[in-house]
Amino acid sequence: MDKSRSEAPPSFAAVSPRNWPLQVSLSILAAIALLCLLGPLVSGHSYDQVYRDYVLVRPSLSAHPDAAEVDSAIASIARRIRVQITASGEGETMRMILHAEKPIDPRTLRTFERSDLFLPARIAATGDEGRELAIDVPLQRTVFLFGTDANGRDLFTRVLIAGRISLAVGLLASFVALTIGVTYGAIAGYAGGRVDALMMRAVEIVYALPFIFFVIVLVMVFGRHFVLIFAAIGAVEWLDMARIVRGQTLSIKQRDFVAAAEALGATPGAILWRHVIPNTSGPIIAYLTVLVPRVILLESFVSFLGLGVQEPLTSWGVLVADGARNIQGSIHLLIFPALFLGVTLAALQTLGDGFQRARGAGGR
Amino acid sequence: MLRFFLTRVATAIPTLFVIIALSFFLMRLAPGGPFDSARTLDPSIAENLRHIYKLDRPLLEQFFYYLRSLADGDLGPSLHWRDFTVNELFATALPISVTLGAKAMLTAILAGTALGLFGAMSKGWMGQRLIDGASIVGIAVPVFVVAPLLQLGFGLALHVLPVGGWDDGAWQNQVLPVATLALPQIAIIARLMQAALNDTLGKPHMRTLRAFGMPAYHIYIHALRAALPPVVSYLGLAAANVLTGSVIVETIFGIPGMGRYFVYGALGRDYTLVMGTVIVVAAAVLLFNLIVDLVLAWLDPRVRYEAGL
Repeated sequence: MDKSRSEAPPSFAAVSPRNWPLQVSLSILAAIALLCLLGPLVSGHSYDQVYRDYVLVRPSLSAHPDAAEVDSAIASIARRIRVQITASGEGETMRMILHAEKPIDPRTLRTFERSDLFLPARIAATGDEGRELAIDVPLQRTVFLFGTDANGRDLFTRVLIAGRISLAVGLLASFVALTIGVTYGAIAGYAGGRVDALMMRAVEIVYALPFIFFVIVLVMVFGRHFVLIFAAIGAVEWLDMARIVRGQTLSIKQRDFVAAAEALGATPGAILWRHVIPNTSGPIIAYLTVLVPRVILLESFVSFLGLGVQEPLTSWGVLVADGARNIQGSIHLLIFPALFLGVTLAALQTLGDGFQRARGAGGR
Repeated sequence: MLRFFLTRVATAIPTLFVIIALSFFLMRLAPGGPFDSARTLDPSIAENLRHIYKLDRPLLEQFFYYLRSLADGDLGPSLHWRDFTVNELFATALPISVTLGAKAMLTAILAGTALGLFGAMSKGWMGQRLIDGASIVGIAVPVFVVAPLLQLGFGLALHVLPVGGWDDGAWQNQVLPVATLALPQIAIIARLMQAALNDTLGKPHMRTLRAFGMPAYHIYIHALRAALPPVVSYLGLAAANVLTGSVIVETIFGIPGMGRYFVYGALGRDYTLVMGTVIVVAAAVLLFNLIVDLVLAWLDPRVRYEAGL
């Protein structure tokens, strides 16, 4: 009994208090995943909301608008509705005196609403036959933790939404690769003989090629749809998985319990599904930790070239590409997405290393 | 050695054929053609265009036609740059990409070996952690982040190197692209090298050398030779990675090489150009793997033996 269970996932034993790099990277990953999942709900911005008055704002903890922004916004509104404005008051609500040659149409006050800096204005007093208006204008406080991009969208929300996409693609594409690889490898290993040799020869042939080119060709041919991206990535990244599973299957099918199942008349499909594949789960999980960062990197690579995720949706690759274009002057556009991508990749990498090391010899 | 070489060539040729067939039929499956633009063409003109480019023939006939012209070394006309053939575009682009790739590989091999050697020689905690850290950074910071950062640092802040362009291959224009391409490979090679050296240094024959009182450099030269095979066998993958990276690097630095044509071609649905790139890249990777296999056989007698020589 114990013998047949020796292939149970050994990887989780590695998560012991003594293995601190593994612990740290697991916590970082959990934090990033949680942030990406919940952050956009509480950031107060939508990922595609455009603030025309806040283009390429620098990252800061304090709320906008500041005094200078208010002054320039008031000046521009005064020009637009052709009045003279004297503003006073600190804090959340500003008292403004509007003065003009002709009576002021109260409807022009909508200009304040349309600005991203103010909430709707209230008329406090009217004087001089409508040529003078005293109004209270509450300030609209907004925080752009990571600043905004060239279109005036909140970078914090966009980075987190991008994280959702990148992580989702990473997991889904890995799942596609897993499905293809496990099926292919298990069949090859179980069939053995000439079928095995032929199937593995095919893997070897494709193995030497630069996959990116094929992902790009696939994306180019079938369109730049979100689902197709991870299908395409999954379709090229299953080779290692197939090799690992095939190797495991070769040894597992020698075991007594497989012979017993065969003797009881189980079909090959049932044997693979019930007895062989569950016993390969240890190495599969260990390899997944290597595969997921590779897939995330591949997706961001394709997206960077403009062939992946399309606007207004975004992924870390798209954001980094955006940052690289605006590098002169607005470095925050590059730094934040690059930081998130880099930390995630490093954490996954450390995780994979830890699992591989805990398993003893390497995965291949 | 000859038989070994011939078997490897014999497996490479069908591989190349599969790739050509795969990419050809994939392209033809694609919805939308190269002549779809916002302005609809006059039907007769469209018909003529399709006729000229032989797009109106049966698929298999198109494939054989393509194979025949490939055999003549002709990759066909570019569908996007209509005044050029793919061959003409590649005639200027290929040397540029080869220069970049070769320099990056050379840098990666030399620097990676040196770093790995350093890591193995400095026995303690520092060397190990340094290599580990460097390799994680090298893997976690993708090429398309490194490139803009280098542009910012050396180009915009320090003003010592140009941020982009090729300028007929002036050395200043080559430094940053080559560095960007080489950095991740340096990290990986250093790590592999260090692991292989540590492995070798613990072997009995190394202990014997040390027991005989051989000088340190003598021991390391012996260890290096024994540690080379795993590093050399990685080089095939490294070449593929450098080729992949060059797509990004050429796009970011504005270098008129193969990678940039590939991206333009993919964005503009230029079938012949993209297929041409895929074929050239695949051929390059296969060729490089062949060389790697030969070097491995030369380094390690066991490989030759297993190959039946």
